[in-house]
Amino acid sequence: MKSLLEIPAHTTVKIVSVSGGKRSRQMLTQMGISIGSLIKIKRNAPFAGPLLLENHGAAVAIGRGVAARIMVEEI
Amino acid sequence: MKIALIGQPNSGKSTIFNSVAGYKSVTSNLPGTTVNYTESRVRLNGNIYDLVDFPGTYSLSSTNEAEAEVSKYLLWSKFDLIINVIDASQLGRSLPLTLELLELKIPIILALNMIDEATRKGISIDTEKLSRILGTRVQSTVASKNLGIRDLFISAKQVIENGSESQLIHCQRDVEEVILEMDGFIREKFSGVISHPSRYIAIKLLEDDEYYRSLLIRQNGTELSRKIEDLQKKLVELRGKPQDSVMLLERHAMAMDIYRQTVQLGTPRQDWREKLDDLLMHRIGGYFILVLVLLAFFYGVFQIGALLEGILLSGFAAIEELLSSYMQPGRFTFQLLKSILWGISGGLAIVLPYLLPFLVGLNLLEDVGYLSRVAFLMDALMHKIGLHGTAIIPAVLGYGCNVPAVMATRILPSRRDKIIAAVIASMVPCSARSIVILGLVAFYLGPLWAFGVYLLNIVMVAGSGKVLSLLMPEVTPGMILEIPSYRWPALRVIGHKTWFRIKEFVVVAWPILIAGSVLLGLLEYFELDRYVNAGLSPLTALLGLPAVVGTTLIFGVLRKELALIMLTQAIGTTEILTVLTQQQILTFTIFITFYIPCVATMAVLSRELNRSLMIGIILFSLLLAFFLALLVNQLGNLFF
Repeated sequence: MKSLLEIPAHTTVKIVSVSGGKRSRQMLTQMGISIGSLIKIKRNAPFAGPLLLENHGAAVAIGRGVAARIMVEEI
Repeated sequence: MKIALIGQPNSGKSTIFNSVAGYKSVTSNLPGTTVNYTESRVRLNGNIYDLVDFPGTYSLSSTNEAEAEVSKYLLWSKFDLIINVIDASQLGRSLPLTLELLELKIPIILALNMIDEATRKGISIDTEKLSRILGTRVQSTVASKNLGIRDLFISAKQVIENGSESQLIHCQRDVEEVILEMDGFIREKFSGVISHPSRYIAIKLLEDDEYYRSLLIRQNGTELSRKIEDLQKKLVELRGKPQDSVMLLERHAMAMDIYRQTVQLGTPRQDWREKLDDLLMHRIGGYFILVLVLLAFFYGVFQIGALLEGILLSGFAAIEELLSSYMQPGRFTFQLLKSILWGISGGLAIVLPYLLPFLVGLNLLEDVGYLSRVAFLMDALMHKIGLHGTAIIPAVLGYGCNVPAVMATRILPSRRDKIIAAVIASMVPCSARSIVILGLVAFYLGPLWAFGVYLLNIVMVAGSGKVLSLLMPEVTPGMILEIPSYRWPALRVIGHKTWFRIKEFVVVAWPILIAGSVLLGLLEYFELDRYVNAGLSPLTALLGLPAVVGTTLIFGVLRKELALIMLTQAIGTTEILTVLTQQQILTFTIFITFYIPCVATMAVLSRELNRSLMIGIILFSLLLAFFLALLVNQLGNLFF
């Protein structure tokens, strides 16, 4: 289990847990990013700006602070 | 008959609304831009409907202001029908809201919008099956091309007349039992108090909904909160998930279940969009392109504006000459007519030539989806000033007009972020201030100088953001932002949107402008402007400006572009260089750009934040403008 930050771009992962404030967890769930979702990382440049995720063709940008709180497993 | 258009941000509600209602609601390819309700009376197939465009919402829970307002408004005013607008390419993510809407027991139909986009992404939806599962009518639409809209409203009419056949989607049995127990408790204890569906209230209470909690807790507090607590504990035991998101996750599981039953995924058609993103969001190239885009944008606006301004101003000069050949200059009627003429020419020849290309350009960038890419690119930089990428959206909207920009700060999750973003948004040069910058600095000093003014503004905005975030240290949740697909700009939408904002200028600002011009003309005629100018002379003298510009500073508070027009009026010529030096022009523009937000922005700041913060912002901006102008005046000797 790794945090989303450690996953290189162009990998598909399964989300294991999401921590953080209630509000950000809710926003993530509403954008389809919650426990069990399969997410493709489109962009993850180390130490540089937000991550870009893809989920059923929808792109969502999340900041690095948020990504650090999302634990995933590679599949 | 009252119809609500509800859907997630960026699903195309406003586009549907506009295609039937004429241009009332501002659409964009940017999540969260409809922050107010827009209502319109429309005639469709011989029937009259009151159509209400709701702000985009992901759910009906009251975790943020915009969403809380949606559910309140929906339930308290009687709606005959809900049109749930869904981005067809995001069905799985959109259904949780649909499931909540079904709980409201208001007839509902689904509009699967942007169906062409879904097809492109390889998503095919079995609409008949979806319709069967939900018990609602489902209509595919492409609102931007006006496809399926007519059928949508025919369905709407039929459902209103014949009643709805929609059904509740029940949770899995164990969770359902908990809901039923809560429902039973509410019906038993509060039956007389509330008119909303009890099952909906039960679910909301289990989700810790602030609104219903505070509404009911007054009646039978301790017993209710004990019941809620018990059942919440039970839910956590059943699902093993955090208490505050059990219901939310449950709804998402149900939504995904429906999604799997109705959607088939093929291979998405690869196209230019992917490649474009690789380029525009590149971590080095992206910034390079961003700067180029902005340069090209302002340069283009200036070129078009200057061209039109030149032609129109010479036209008005000819009219004025004609006027003075018929009448004795210095007479009262001449002075009056001249003031009116200058008011008209100010709007037509100075404001509109820049406002029009500016708005078309900004709407184009917004509509193709570039602005959220800007938020993505700016996230790292925004972190340096203690905010995150989402906060760039109000700031960018601010370049159009500060009023919607300040309202858009509602999309930010915390009050602290909201305050900082509102301050920033009110400092950004709006199109009115851009007119002053372009019309004075770019016109008389050159486009590069104008770019310098924008750059200085960005530095000041960033600096203020940094200072504020240091004053209010607090960990912010970070950016979570949807990046919409690129869309071909629909010229119809851009045209409408530009017209909508131009109309606002023509109807609201132009009359003030003409009235202001006449007022200034009268002040001059009776030589009263001396007193205003004398009163402001300590300030103008300190900034090295001639005393005659004093009155313009007062008018600039009303609307920023007034300062420019009143300037030509006050100094008595459109040949500004004969009266002001380049250095004075720059000083004047800097002062106008930074000082006091206009009256409309003040009002919205006071409403969105509060009065004392608004006054704080006014004082801060005055001080900042004063020091910057003073600095330019002093340093200017080095350049000019």
